Amino acid sequence: MACVVKEKERAGIINPIFTCQPAGAQYVSIGIKDCIGLVHGGQGCCMFVRLIFSQHFKESFELASSSLHEDAAVFGGLNRVEQGVDVLLMRYPNLKVIPVISTCSTEIIGDDIDGVITNLNDGLLKEKYPGREVHLVPIHTPSFVGSMVSGYDIAVESFVRAFAKKDKPNGKINLITGWVNPGDVRELKHILKEMDIDATVLFEIEKFDAPLMPKEQAQPHGETTIDDLTGTANAIGTIALNKYEGGKAAEYLEDTFDVPAVIGPSPIGIRNTDLFLKKLSQMTGKPIPKSLAYERGVALDALTDLTHMFFADKKVAIFGNPDLVISLAEFCIDLEMKPVLLLLGDDNRSYKNDPRITQLQEKVDFDMDIILNADLFELEDRIKKGLKLDLIMGHSKGRFVAMDNKIPMLRVGFPVFDRAGYYRHPRVGYNGAVWLAEEMANVMFNDMEYKRNKEWLLAMW
Amino acid sequence: MKDDMEEKVDQLVNYIMKNCLWQFNSRAWDRENQNEGILKRTMQVLCDEPVEKDTPAGKYYWAEAVYLARLYKSEFKWINDMSKEEIKVLIKKLKEKIDYLTISGSLNEELKNPLY
Amino acid sequence: MPYHLFKVSECIPEREKHVVEKGKDEEITDALPLGYLNTIPGTLSERGCVYCGAKHVIGTPMKDVIHMSHGPIGCTYDTWQTKRYISDNDNFQIKYTFATDVKESNVIFGANELLKDNIIAAFKAFPEIKRLTIYQTCGTALIGDDLESIAKEVMDEMPEVDIFVCNAPGFAGPSQSGGHHKINIAWVENKVGTHEPKITSDYTINYVGEYNIQGDQEVMQDYFKRMGIQIISTFTGNGSYDDLRGMHRAKLNVLECARSAEYICNELRKRYGIPRMDIDGFGFKPLSDSLRKIGIFFGIEERAEAIVKEETARWKPELDWYKERLKGKRVCLWPGGSKLWHWAHVIHEEMGVEVVSVYTKFGHQGDMEKGISRCDCEGALAIDDPNELESLEAMETLKPDVIFTGKRPGEYAKKIGVPYINAHAYHNGPYKGFEGWVRFARDIYNAIYSPVHELSFVDITKDEITEENSFVTRRMKSDINLSKEIVDSTSIREYTGNFDCVSHLREKSYPYLEEQIEKHKQMAE
Repeated sequence: MACVVKEKERAGIINPIFTCQPAGAQYVSIGIKDCIGLVHGGQGCCMFVRLIFSQHFKESFELASSSLHEDAAVFGGLNRVEQGVDVLLMRYPNLKVIPVISTCSTEIIGDDIDGVITNLNDGLLKEKYPGREVHLVPIHTPSFVGSMVSGYDIAVESFVRAFAKKDKPNGKINLITGWVNPGDVRELKHILKEMDIDATVLFEIEKFDAPLMPKEQAQPHGETTIDDLTGTANAIGTIALNKYEGGKAAEYLEDTFDVPAVIGPSPIGIRNTDLFLKKLSQMTGKPIPKSLAYERGVALDALTDLTHMFFADKKVAIFGNPDLVISLAEFCIDLEMKPVLLLLGDDNRSYKNDPRITQLQEKVDFDMDIILNADLFELEDRIKKGLKLDLIMGHSKGRFVAMDNKIPMLRVGFPVFDRAGYYRHPRVGYNGAVWLAEEMANVMFNDMEYKRNKEWLLAMW
Repeated sequence: MKDDMEEKVDQLVNYIMKNCLWQFNSRAWDRENQNEGILKRTMQVLCDEPVEKDTPAGKYYWAEAVYLARLYKSEFKWINDMSKEEIKVLIKKLKEKIDYLTISGSLNEELKNPLY
Repeated sequence: MPYHLFKVSECIPEREKHVVEKGKDEEITDALPLGYLNTIPGTLSERGCVYCGAKHVIGTPMKDVIHMSHGPIGCTYDTWQTKRYISDNDNFQIKYTFATDVKESNVIFGANELLKDNIIAAFKAFPEIKRLTIYQTCGTALIGDDLESIAKEVMDEMPEVDIFVCNAPGFAGPSQSGGHHKINIAWVENKVGTHEPKITSDYTINYVGEYNIQGDQEVMQDYFKRMGIQIISTFTGNGSYDDLRGMHRAKLNVLECARSAEYICNELRKRYGIPRMDIDGFGFKPLSDSLRKIGIFFGIEERAEAIVKEETARWKPELDWYKERLKGKRVCLWPGGSKLWHWAHVIHEEMGVEVVSVYTKFGHQGDMEKGISRCDCEGALAIDDPNELESLEAMETLKPDVIFTGKRPGEYAKKIGVPYINAHAYHNGPYKGFEGWVRFARDIYNAIYSPVHELSFVDITKDEITEENSFVTRRMKSDINLSKEIVDSTSIREYTGNFDCVSHLREKSYPYLEEQIEKHKQMAE
């Protein structure tokens, strides 16, 4: 009865859980208003990431490529960045922020994107665009380091580093959400409103879920402004919900501007949400209102209907972004389930020392494996070798493991392309806890019906 | 004003350009072979002359030609009233036009590329 | 002026030569867009990279192979599960993707050993699979890993396996088309002729440039088999690795997507004397013409004719039902490459729509020659390497009723009130074959006449909210201007096929083919 943390033993990756760093940087870029990221690399590094965003959100987001071709691989591609910036500025008159996002190819050929940005600032921007507000932000995200998770973390820090500027205290808190969905941002803003807290939400992506309107074009876009980013230095404090997706930026603000940082936990599940509210309250001095206590009560009422009747002792495997996976595991344990396998898809050495993981190692009273640098074949292979599961939680790329082995699966994380509208619903907060638990139940109920596995439990009360 | 023969050639050209793909191989030398191989045999089929189809290439050109000739006869009934000599002139002019459109007048800069 | 400069591209005037407006009496010798040139950075071009052209478009549809990308995980991850190239072996090639997971230390010290360990681990994980392809990526090309020598080492140690190496890193060309080219040439150079196929029919073809999108290959395969033709290989949709090593034994190359696969047909013609026949699997007449020509070549035309007759009788009334309702609708035909010429003329002829624009993301000038020739609409805009702002401007000025394009561009078209049909992966395909063509017409009809689509144009703050209808059917919209005779016609009808029109083909038997198999068995004895 123990929780074991270990690396995947097989060489290489069969069916990766994550994509690479530039994708994370691109996800951050689209959260900023009047911003188009320029991905410095081959066209695929940008085009396919745009496709995955569009598969997930059923929307198209603006991202550009420096379109690295053969000659650039030989002679360097910085001229492609210069031209790309110019073309973007000429054709997008409202554009203010252009992050230059590096990739494996341009890091290997040694293109100095910081240098080219200095040159552009001193040259092109002064000469051709005097008086226009333009910010070029270097983001180093070589694909052979980390994963989309660390790419996200690096990009948030790069933006904060580029804009944060000390001024008068603004009385706000910084809320760094991590890699979440529009539904999560809506829920977080709801909580902030209930607590009467003024916050800078990084990143404000509620409008990723864009409408279809009769006259105006409502293309989806992020709404975090330059002022928002600049003001992060003047906040009361920073709460980064996810340690690995925004934690770096929170630390930077603390180290550089003495803005106190609270990092984690992701408010997934009741306990983590309670803790989040407590941190909010501590940071702002605002009390936790009755309205949220009521919502919590509604959530607990819903969970009680499910836990000991349906969830107890059900075995769960979870894969995806580390903060999400760990918080989901904690929530599952509260729901009387047994998360027997957690798969974290990159080789980040610090996972091992994560206090949440150490706590699992110290306290769980059933067998649990946490696999680092994992892939989805690890999950499949273990099932083939006898691992019994009642539920899988993770993103859509793992759908075949569930389908082929006839295990119910709840889509959580990124990307989810095979379920309608999942980005619209929260995973965080009390409402997120309800959504998660009820959807877990519903996929298991469907499975009971298809397999005729005591399906009458559902029908006759 | 185009003369009658030109009108007729235009109709045949238009049919090929709208319905066929063989005239658009990627290199000039292949286009020459295709145009020559297929249109010569089309003429031979239309004139009931013997057609070379013993080699794989010849057989392929012949298949395209048989089919094109058949469609010409059904789509453009006037062709059935032409003499063999007239048909030969017609197809010669057709080939000249197709050669112009796809080879000598083509703006496709890849036609001269020596490799596939 | 035949060349056209979009307002949004006035600041990049070199774009002018990439766009042509089809003028009256103008020919392709008067104006032709430039093509296959390096992309202008920062334009938000829709192009992909060379790696994806090689691996994702052509390599991966091969169904019985471990497809391994040598590089960081992103290239594999990002292209994985983004296109509907199914197979009849339960989609092994879609389910599994392999990356060597190159890390910083490999970049410094080389990743040859990592690659070897990966290949061996992959074969161990799937002991029933004996074939493997390796795709170079930007990173491993730049660090100079020698993929061939590693592949050879493994093949020497494991004689039962065969490995194909494709050196097509993402940066090695203007678009995915560079990758199509590289993998074509690499395959004919290194793999064709290394396996002898079993010949079981007098009539043998390679079916080339066909990727089994939603079952296209299986639909066409059905026709070929009904004619008694043995498909030695399909390049590459639903295709087998070893079959593709035997391409040199076919009597005819039947070529569908010339854009992605004409190179191998040209090489097979040059090296092995196999003729190349370009065909169209889309549209009743082009498909009928194609089947008949193949029939003529093999001297079995009556078999083709029987198929054409049967299929036309079954499906033409349904195509015509949609044609009556799609007449005059304006479409932008904005695919990747070959569909611009496969579809340009025949959708006008057989569905009655007006093609007001064609574009190609990665086509060459040859594709524009075909596409512009086949496009019937005067004033149509032909655009090479389109970008987002140009597409939006084109839609503003051309006012199409529907566009045929990729998933992501389809999303921004939706926002300006233009529905889209997925031209790459299809909405509810397959679109090849007679039934498939009706499915395409059905999907276009459903897009254009969607009652929900109509609602999106109503501004409830200002416009009159109608109380007339509590619902609207598609026919209430589409039939309003049709004559009573057409509306009441019993000789035409809506699509009557099933949601899945492919799976049942896998169970069929083929008398002509069995006759041939028997004949060749006796010849061998």
